[in-house]
This record gives sequence, C-alpha cells and structure tokens, in this order.
Amino acid sequence: MKTVDNKDMSLKIVTLVENARNGNRLSFHELVSLFQEDIYRLAYFRTFSQMDAEDLTQDVFEQAYRKLATLNEPRRFRALLYSIAVNRCNDLLRKRKYTALLHRRNTEEQDFSTSDKNMNSCYGDRIDKKTFWKQVKLMLGKLSTMEREVFTLRFMDHRNINEIASILGKNESTVKTHLYRALNKIRAHAEFFKEHRELIS
Amino acid sequence: MKYQTTGHLRDEQIIWAVIDKQELSGEARQHLQVCEACNIKVEQFSGDLQDFGREARQAVPPFSGTVKLPAAKPSMGSHYGGWLPFFGAVAMAGLLMFFYFMGMQTVTPIQYTMLQQQENLLEDEALMREISEMVEYPLSDDIYRITGENGAGYDDDFLDFIVPGMQDDSQSELFI
Repeated sequence: MKTVDNKDMSLKIVTLVENARNGNRLSFHELVSLFQEDIYRLAYFRTFSQMDAEDLTQDVFEQAYRKLATLNEPRRFRALLYSIAVNRCNDLLRKRKYTALLHRRNTEEQDFSTSDKNMNSCYGDRIDKKTFWKQVKLMLGKLSTMEREVFTLRFMDHRNINEIASILGKNESTVKTHLYRALNKIRAHAEFFKEHRELIS
Repeated sequence: MKYQTTGHLRDEQIIWAVIDKQELSGEARQHLQVCEACNIKVEQFSGDLQDFGREARQAVPPFSGTVKLPAAKPSMGSHYGGWLPFFGAVAMAGLLMFFYFMGMQTVTPIQYTMLQQQENLLEDEALMREISEMVEYPLSDDIYRITGENGAGYDDDFLDFIVPGMQDDSQSELFI
C-alpha cells in the first residue's frame, strides 16, 4: 500500500515539475507546499536556528525554481532540492564560522532564544527541547562532516541510502561506509538513547 | 559480505545489520534470522535511531514564514549555459596567451645578473682595445706641440702670466 502511495506521489511530482517547467507557477507552489517542511527541517537540523532555517528554505526554493529548466529528469526533483539545501546549509555554516571568528558572538544562546520565540509550549517543554538540541549538537559534533551529513540525512531527514547517494553525489558503498563510522561513534552515546527511550515510554 | 561469524553477531555486524542486512555475510544473515538475542540488539539500535529521528523532527519549531517565488519565469538554461562557458573559455585562453608572452619577456634576477656581467665584460674589452690602439698608434709630435701636452709650451713665464704670484698682487695694490 505504501509502495503504491510512493509511486502515486512520484508521478504527481513529475507532473508538477513538468508543468512548472512550462511556466506554471501554481504547480511550483504546490511543489513548495509538498517539500517546504522537509527542507525547513533539513536546514534546522544543520543550523539549529529557526531564522536561518527559514531564510535557507526560501533560498533553496528560489534556486530550485531557477534551476528547474536545467533538470533533465523531473523525477530527480527531490534529489535536486535536497542537494541545493545541503550545499546552502554548508555555505551558511562556513560563513558562520568566519563570522564567529571575527565577532566571537555566542551563536548558541542567540539561536536557541530565537527558535523558541514562536513555540507555544510551556517552560519545562522548552527546557527539554533546549537540552535535547544541546545533546544532539554534542553528539553530532563527534562526527566528521561527511559522517554527520550521512547520519542526519538517514535518521533525521529519513532518506534511504540510494537517495543519500544521489543527494551527495557519492556511490552507495561510500555512503554506507560513512554511515557505519558514524553509527560506531554514536553507539558510544547509548545513555543518550536510553534516556530518550525512558522519556518516550 | 563484510564479516564471517561463528557465534552471535559482533558489534560491528549489528551496525551493518542496521545499515543494510545485505552487507552481512550469508552465515551472519542466517544467524540473524534464527537468533532472537541478536535480532533484539539490531531492532533496539535501529529503534533507538528511529525514535531519535522522530523526536528530532518533533522538536523542530514550526515554519512560520511563506516561500515567495522570484518574479521571473524559470530561465531556459540551454541558451545561457551554452554561450557562457564558450565566452569563459575564450577569455581564459586570451589570458593564458597574454601571460605566456608576458612571461617570455620577463627577465629573472639570475638572468639579469648574467646579462649585466656580459655587458661589463664587453665594456672592459672595448676599453682594452682603445688602450692597445693608443699604444700602437701614439699622437705625432706636432699634435703634442699644438695641444700643449707633454709639458710643451707650459713654461714658468706662461704660468705666471695666467696665475700671477702674491708679490705681484701687493705691487699692483700700491700702484692703485
């Protein structure tokens, strides 16, 4: 049933992409509404800032709109979108590193405060989320750039190995090797998962 | 087929099982099918990762903005993409030619020193040639007499006439 749904979805995406390429803005708007949340989340998992993630989402769709004409296979639209998003996030993180060197601003504090501004949640929940993201940052910080990328795409963005290979422009074996290394390091954080399991239960 | 196994799956095999079961050796795969303990380990690690992902997605603050599209229609990359690389290649070739020819006319410090040494040598040679010519063909006595060289014509009377002595000066003052 799920496969049939996926197939229908793929067909819908292909049709929308083809229409958008012919200048149908409504079709592209529909594509935006389909992928907006995914791209925003992808950006948030990398920047940990709501403001940056929203700006990046806007940039990604603008760039995708411009690149639509050069896309030979409409079924690769999702990969194109993710690929743009990953690259834009990396650009921003690189820029942020240089800026941090110059200004030495405490991005962590600022980012978490801005990300909480629109949350209609209680104080305790906010603290939980803050602690959660701090732990995530700590955990991801132990990984190399490629390991982090592959891990995030696989378990946070829920992409399969084939899609990750397509997004990053690597072969599947390379992706699996990076994922293995990442998981090997992540296993050391067993307590983190245990705590979460308890929290969820 | 990453690892061979005899008993329960090792930690690295558990990880490979989470990534892709097809990466395990046939023996390990068979073991995984029958061994409950190993299966639980794989499922637990896989479940932890899935839960973590779910939790992460739920912890993301909601998207509050709206995506605005640029006014222009998607540009047809074929025209743009065809000419731009061509012009780029031509400009690059021009630059390369320019730097190549500039490079040919540029003299390195070592080359410059060598050239200077050669010039000095040539200058020395020219001087030596002039000296040897003067030795071989000295000026005739008549010319010496005209020019006054060799002391001819510069006697004491002539010099007194040119530069009068102190005694003469005091006498001239008395006359005044």
